[in-house]
Amino acid sequence: MSHTPHHPHHGLAQFEKLSEYLDRELDELTCQDIERHAKNCIACRVCLETLKQTVMLCHSINHDEKPVPPDFAIRLKETIKALCRDKG
Amino acid sequence: MSISQNPRTPNDDDTELIIQINSGRTDLFPELVRRYEQKLYNFGIRMCRDVQDAEDMVQDTFLNVFRYLKDFRFESRFKNWLYRVATRTCLKKKRKSLYAPEEELSLDYFLPGEEAAIPARVPDWAAAPLDQLLNEELGNRLRQAVHELPESYRLVLVLRDMEGFSTSETARILNLSESNIKVRLHRARLFVRQKLTDYFDHEPYTPSSPSWSCPV
Repeated sequence: MSHTPHHPHHGLAQFEKLSEYLDRELDELTCQDIERHAKNCIACRVCLETLKQTVMLCHSINHDEKPVPPDFAIRLKETIKALCRDKG
Repeated sequence: MSISQNPRTPNDDDTELIIQINSGRTDLFPELVRRYEQKLYNFGIRMCRDVQDAEDMVQDTFLNVFRYLKDFRFESRFKNWLYRVATRTCLKKKRKSLYAPEEELSLDYFLPGEEAAIPARVPDWAAAPLDQLLNEELGNRLRQAVHELPESYRLVLVLRDMEGFSTSETARILNLSESNIKVRLHRARLFVRQKLTDYFDHEPYTPSSPSWSCPV
Protein backbone atom coordinates (compact mmCIF):
# COMPACT_ATOMS: atom_id res chain seq x y z
CA MET A 1 0.00 0.00 0.00
CA SER A 2 1.39 3.38 -0.92
CA HIS A 3 1.24 6.13 1.62
CA THR A 4 0.75 9.81 1.16
CA PRO A 5 3.84 11.57 2.51
CA HIS A 6 2.89 13.34 5.71
CA HIS A 7 3.29 17.06 5.83
CA PRO A 8 3.04 18.60 9.31
CA HIS A 9 0.35 21.03 8.16
CA HIS A 10 -1.45 18.66 5.86
CA GLY A 11 -4.41 17.25 7.71
CA LEU A 12 -3.90 19.59 10.67
CA ALA A 13 -7.63 20.22 10.85
CA GLN A 14 -8.23 16.47 11.06
CA PHE A 15 -5.43 16.04 13.58
CA GLU A 16 -7.05 18.58 15.90
CA LYS A 17 -10.31 16.68 15.77
CA LEU A 18 -9.10 13.14 16.38
CA SER A 19 -10.42 13.06 19.95
CA GLU A 20 -13.82 14.34 18.87
CA TYR A 21 -13.79 11.67 16.17
CA LEU A 22 -13.09 8.96 18.77
CA ASP A 23 -15.81 10.39 21.01
CA ARG A 24 -18.32 10.40 18.12
CA GLU A 25 -18.86 14.11 18.52
CA LEU A 26 -18.40 15.01 14.84
CA ASP A 27 -20.80 15.12 11.92
CA GLU A 28 -20.77 12.38 9.30
CA LEU A 29 -18.96 14.45 6.67
CA THR A 30 -16.06 15.36 8.98
CA CYS A 31 -15.78 11.71 10.06
CA GLN A 32 -15.48 10.67 6.43
CA ASP A 33 -12.78 13.31 5.84
CA ILE A 34 -10.77 11.95 8.76
CA GLU A 35 -11.19 8.35 7.66
CA ARG A 36 -10.15 9.21 4.10
CA HIS A 37 -7.08 11.09 5.32
CA ALA A 38 -6.07 8.39 7.83
CA LYS A 39 -6.39 5.72 5.17
CA ASN A 40 -3.70 7.40 3.08
CA CYS A 41 -1.55 8.99 5.78
CA ILE A 42 0.39 6.53 7.92
CA ALA A 43 1.43 9.24 10.42
CA CYS A 44 -2.16 10.17 11.18
CA ARG A 45 -3.27 6.53 11.16
CA VAL A 46 -0.62 5.68 13.75
CA CYS A 47 -1.66 8.69 15.79
CA LEU A 48 -5.34 7.77 15.57
CA GLU A 49 -4.81 4.12 16.56
CA THR A 50 -2.41 4.88 19.42
CA LEU A 51 -4.69 7.65 20.67
CA LYS A 52 -7.68 5.31 20.56
CA GLN A 53 -5.78 2.69 22.58
CA THR A 54 -4.66 5.38 25.07
CA VAL A 55 -8.27 6.40 25.67
CA MET A 56 -9.32 2.78 26.11
CA LEU A 57 -6.51 2.24 28.63
CA CYS A 58 -7.66 5.31 30.59
CA HIS A 59 -11.21 3.93 30.64
CA SER A 60 -9.88 0.57 31.82
CA ILE A 61 -7.91 1.77 34.82
CA ASN A 62 -11.04 3.52 36.04
CA HIS A 63 -12.36 0.06 36.93
CA ASP A 64 -9.44 -0.43 39.28
CA GLU A 65 -11.00 1.44 42.20
CA LYS A 66 -9.07 1.41 45.44
CA PRO A 67 -11.02 1.03 48.68
CA VAL A 68 -10.92 3.88 51.17
CA PRO A 69 -8.15 3.13 53.72
CA PRO A 70 -9.86 1.80 56.89
CA ASP A 71 -8.25 4.34 59.26
CA PHE A 72 -9.32 7.24 57.04
CA ALA A 73 -12.84 5.77 56.71
CA ILE A 74 -13.15 5.72 60.52
CA ARG A 75 -11.77 9.25 60.86
CA LEU A 76 -14.14 10.56 58.18
CA LYS A 77 -17.11 8.82 59.77
CA GLU A 78 -16.32 10.35 63.16
CA THR A 79 -15.87 13.83 61.66
CA ILE A 80 -19.20 13.61 59.81
CA LYS A 81 -20.97 12.21 62.87
CA ALA A 82 -19.71 15.08 65.01
CA LEU A 83 -20.78 17.57 62.33
CA CYS A 84 -24.28 16.09 62.17
CA ARG A 85 -24.52 16.08 65.98
CA ASP A 86 -23.49 19.74 66.23
CA LYS A 87 -25.81 20.93 63.47
CA GLY A 88 -28.63 18.48 64.02
CA MET B 1 -43.24 26.01 45.83
CA SER B 2 -39.74 25.38 47.14
CA ILE B 3 -37.06 23.74 45.04
CA SER B 4 -36.86 20.82 47.41
CA GLN B 5 -40.51 20.04 46.75
CA ASN B 6 -40.03 20.25 43.02
CA PRO B 7 -36.70 18.70 42.10
CA ARG B 8 -35.85 18.97 38.40
CA THR B 9 -34.07 15.66 38.28
CA PRO B 10 -36.56 13.19 39.81
CA ASN B 11 -34.64 10.21 38.44
CA ASP B 12 -31.49 11.03 40.38
CA ASP B 13 -31.11 8.25 42.96
CA ASP B 14 -29.97 10.78 45.55
CA THR B 15 -32.91 13.18 45.27
CA GLU B 16 -35.08 11.65 47.99
CA LEU B 17 -32.17 11.41 50.40
CA ILE B 18 -31.16 15.04 49.81
CA ILE B 19 -34.72 16.26 50.28
CA GLN B 20 -34.84 14.46 53.62
CA ILE B 21 -31.47 15.83 54.75
CA ASN B 22 -32.46 19.35 53.74
CA SER B 23 -35.73 19.03 55.61
CA GLY B 24 -33.84 18.44 58.85
CA ARG B 25 -32.81 14.78 58.82
CA THR B 26 -29.08 15.56 59.10
CA ASP B 27 -28.66 12.13 60.67
CA LEU B 28 -29.01 10.79 57.09
CA PHE B 29 -25.99 12.74 55.82
CA PRO B 30 -23.59 9.85 56.57
CA GLU B 31 -25.55 7.79 54.03
CA LEU B 32 -24.71 10.36 51.36
CA VAL B 33 -21.07 10.13 52.43
CA ARG B 34 -21.20 6.34 52.28
CA ARG B 35 -22.51 6.45 48.70
CA TYR B 36 -19.69 8.62 47.40
CA GLU B 37 -16.65 8.30 49.67
CA GLN B 38 -14.92 5.63 47.57
CA LYS B 39 -15.65 7.37 44.27
CA LEU B 40 -14.37 10.66 45.64
CA TYR B 41 -11.32 9.07 47.24
CA ASN B 42 -10.31 7.55 43.90
CA PHE B 43 -10.88 10.90 42.18
CA GLY B 44 -8.64 12.39 44.87
CA ILE B 45 -5.76 10.01 44.29
CA ARG B 46 -5.99 10.64 40.54
CA MET B 47 -5.86 14.39 41.09
CA CYS B 48 -3.60 14.84 44.13
CA ARG B 49 0.08 14.21 44.52
CA ASP B 50 -0.26 11.91 47.51
CA VAL B 51 -2.73 9.96 49.61
CA GLN B 52 -2.76 12.52 52.44
CA ASP B 53 -3.82 15.27 50.02
CA ALA B 54 -6.50 12.98 48.60
CA GLU B 55 -7.87 12.26 52.08
CA ASP B 56 -7.89 15.97 52.96
CA MET B 57 -9.70 16.73 49.72
CA VAL B 58 -12.38 14.10 50.42
CA GLN B 59 -12.96 15.34 53.96
CA ASP B 60 -13.03 19.04 52.97
CA THR B 61 -15.40 18.25 50.10
CA PHE B 62 -17.90 16.53 52.37
CA LEU B 63 -17.66 19.36 54.89
CA ASN B 64 -18.44 21.82 52.08
CA VAL B 65 -21.27 19.62 50.81
CA PHE B 66 -22.77 19.54 54.31
CA ARG B 67 -22.49 23.32 54.53
CA TYR B 68 -23.92 24.09 51.08
CA LEU B 69 -26.33 21.22 50.42
CA LYS B 70 -29.28 23.54 50.95
CA ASP B 71 -28.05 25.54 47.93
CA PHE B 72 -28.22 22.48 45.66
CA ARG B 73 -30.93 23.32 43.11
CA PHE B 74 -31.39 19.89 41.51
CA GLU B 75 -30.40 21.40 38.17
CA SER B 76 -27.92 18.58 37.59
CA ARG B 77 -27.36 15.16 39.06
CA PHE B 78 -26.10 15.40 42.63
CA LYS B 79 -22.95 13.53 41.58
CA ASN B 80 -22.08 16.31 39.11
CA TRP B 81 -22.61 18.97 41.77
CA LEU B 82 -20.46 16.95 44.20
CA TYR B 83 -17.60 16.84 41.67
CA ARG B 84 -18.00 20.57 41.14
CA VAL B 85 -17.49 21.07 44.87
CA ALA B 86 -14.61 18.57 44.86
CA THR B 87 -12.73 20.22 41.98
CA ARG B 88 -13.05 23.62 43.65
CA THR B 89 -11.86 22.17 46.96
CA CYS B 90 -8.94 20.62 45.14
CA LEU B 91 -7.95 23.86 43.40
CA LYS B 92 -8.49 26.00 46.50
CA LYS B 93 -6.27 23.66 48.47
CA LYS B 94 -3.46 24.31 46.04
CA ARG B 95 -4.30 28.03 46.08
CA LYS B 96 -4.63 27.90 42.34
CA SER B 97 -7.41 28.92 40.04
CA LEU B 98 -8.56 26.95 37.06
CA TYR B 99 -7.99 30.16 35.16
CA ALA B 100 -4.56 30.90 36.62
CA PRO B 101 -1.74 30.76 34.10
CA GLU B 102 0.07 27.47 34.10
CA GLU B 103 1.99 25.34 31.66
CA GLU B 104 0.17 25.07 28.34
CA LEU B 105 0.40 22.05 26.08
CA SER B 106 0.95 23.21 22.52
CA LEU B 107 -0.62 21.19 19.75
CA ASP B 108 2.47 21.74 17.58
CA TYR B 109 4.47 19.60 19.99
CA PHE B 110 2.25 16.61 19.26
CA LEU B 111 2.00 16.92 15.49
CA PRO B 112 3.44 13.94 13.65
CA GLY B 113 7.02 14.90 12.81
CA GLU B 114 9.26 14.62 9.82
CA GLU B 115 8.89 11.60 7.60
CA ALA B 116 12.01 9.91 8.95
CA ALA B 117 10.47 9.77 12.43
CA ILE B 118 7.15 8.36 11.28
CA PRO B 119 6.67 4.65 11.96
CA ALA B 120 6.05 2.45 8.94
CA ARG B 121 3.00 0.83 10.54
CA VAL B 122 0.67 0.96 13.51
CA PRO B 123 2.62 -0.42 16.51
CA ASP B 124 1.51 -3.73 17.97
CA TRP B 125 0.53 -2.24 21.33
CA ALA B 126 -2.10 -0.08 19.67
CA ALA B 127 -3.89 -3.12 18.31
CA ALA B 128 -3.49 -5.43 21.31
CA PRO B 129 -6.49 -6.63 23.35
CA LEU B 130 -6.61 -4.63 26.57
CA ASP B 131 -6.64 -7.70 28.81
CA GLN B 132 -3.33 -8.81 27.27
CA LEU B 133 -1.79 -5.38 27.28
CA LEU B 134 -2.72 -3.91 30.63
CA ASN B 135 -0.59 -5.03 33.55
CA GLU B 136 0.53 -3.48 36.82
CA GLU B 137 3.61 -1.84 35.32
CA LEU B 138 1.69 -0.26 32.46
CA GLY B 139 -1.08 0.81 34.84
CA ASN B 140 1.49 2.57 37.01
CA ARG B 141 3.10 4.18 33.97
CA LEU B 142 -0.29 5.42 32.82
CA ARG B 143 -1.13 6.88 36.25
CA GLN B 144 2.28 8.56 36.35
CA ALA B 145 1.67 10.10 32.91
CA VAL B 146 -1.68 11.46 34.10
CA HIS B 147 0.00 12.97 37.17
CA GLU B 148 2.61 14.64 34.95
CA LEU B 149 -0.11 16.58 33.12
CA PRO B 150 -0.56 20.26 34.03
CA GLU B 151 -3.45 20.40 36.48
CA SER B 152 -6.12 21.96 34.26
CA TYR B 153 -5.48 19.29 31.62
CA ARG B 154 -5.38 16.53 34.22
CA LEU B 155 -8.75 17.61 35.61
CA VAL B 156 -10.36 17.39 32.19
CA LEU B 157 -8.83 14.02 31.30
CA VAL B 158 -9.72 12.49 34.68
CA LEU B 159 -13.31 13.75 34.55
CA ARG B 160 -13.85 12.70 30.93
CA ASP B 161 -11.87 9.49 30.51
CA MET B 162 -11.72 8.11 34.03
CA GLU B 163 -14.78 9.39 35.88
CA GLY B 164 -16.97 9.03 32.79
CA PHE B 165 -18.54 12.50 32.57
CA SER B 166 -19.66 13.76 29.16
CA THR B 167 -18.20 16.85 27.51
CA SER B 168 -21.17 19.00 28.56
CA GLU B 169 -21.15 17.64 32.13
CA THR B 170 -17.40 18.30 32.42
CA ALA B 171 -17.91 21.82 31.07
CA ARG B 172 -20.53 22.50 33.74
CA ILE B 173 -18.43 20.97 36.52
CA LEU B 174 -15.43 23.13 35.61
CA ASN B 175 -17.46 26.13 34.45
CA LEU B 176 -15.66 26.16 31.11
CA SER B 177 -16.99 26.09 27.55
CA GLU B 178 -17.44 22.76 25.78
CA SER B 179 -14.94 23.79 23.10
CA ASN B 180 -12.38 24.54 25.80
CA ILE B 181 -12.97 21.09 27.31
CA LYS B 182 -12.48 19.46 23.89
CA VAL B 183 -9.21 21.30 23.27
CA ARG B 184 -7.81 20.44 26.71
CA LEU B 185 -8.94 16.83 26.49
CA HIS B 186 -7.32 16.30 23.10
CA ARG B 187 -3.99 17.75 24.23
CA ALA B 188 -4.09 15.80 27.49
CA ARG B 189 -4.73 12.58 25.59
CA LEU B 190 -1.90 13.36 23.14
CA PHE B 191 0.42 13.96 26.10
CA VAL B 192 -0.45 10.60 27.70
CA ARG B 193 -0.25 8.89 24.32
CA GLN B 194 3.28 10.25 23.86
CA LYS B 195 4.29 8.89 27.28
CA LEU B 196 2.88 5.47 26.38
CA THR B 197 4.65 5.55 23.00
CA ASP B 198 7.94 6.31 24.79
CA TYR B 199 7.24 3.47 27.23
CA PHE B 200 6.59 0.94 24.47
CA ASP B 201 9.66 2.13 22.55
CA HIS B 202 11.68 0.89 25.53
CA GLU B 203 9.45 -2.05 26.48
CA PRO B 204 8.17 -3.28 23.12
CA TYR B 205 4.94 -5.22 23.18
CA THR B 206 4.73 -8.23 20.92
CA PRO B 207 1.50 -10.16 20.36
CA SER B 208 3.19 -13.29 21.66
CA SER B 209 4.15 -11.63 24.96
CA PRO B 210 2.70 -13.59 27.85
CA SER B 211 0.01 -11.80 29.80
CA TRP B 212 1.06 -10.68 33.25
CA SER B 213 -0.03 -12.48 36.35
CA CYS B 214 -1.14 -9.33 38.12
CA PRO B 215 -3.60 -7.54 35.84
CA VAL B 216 -4.74 -4.07 36.85
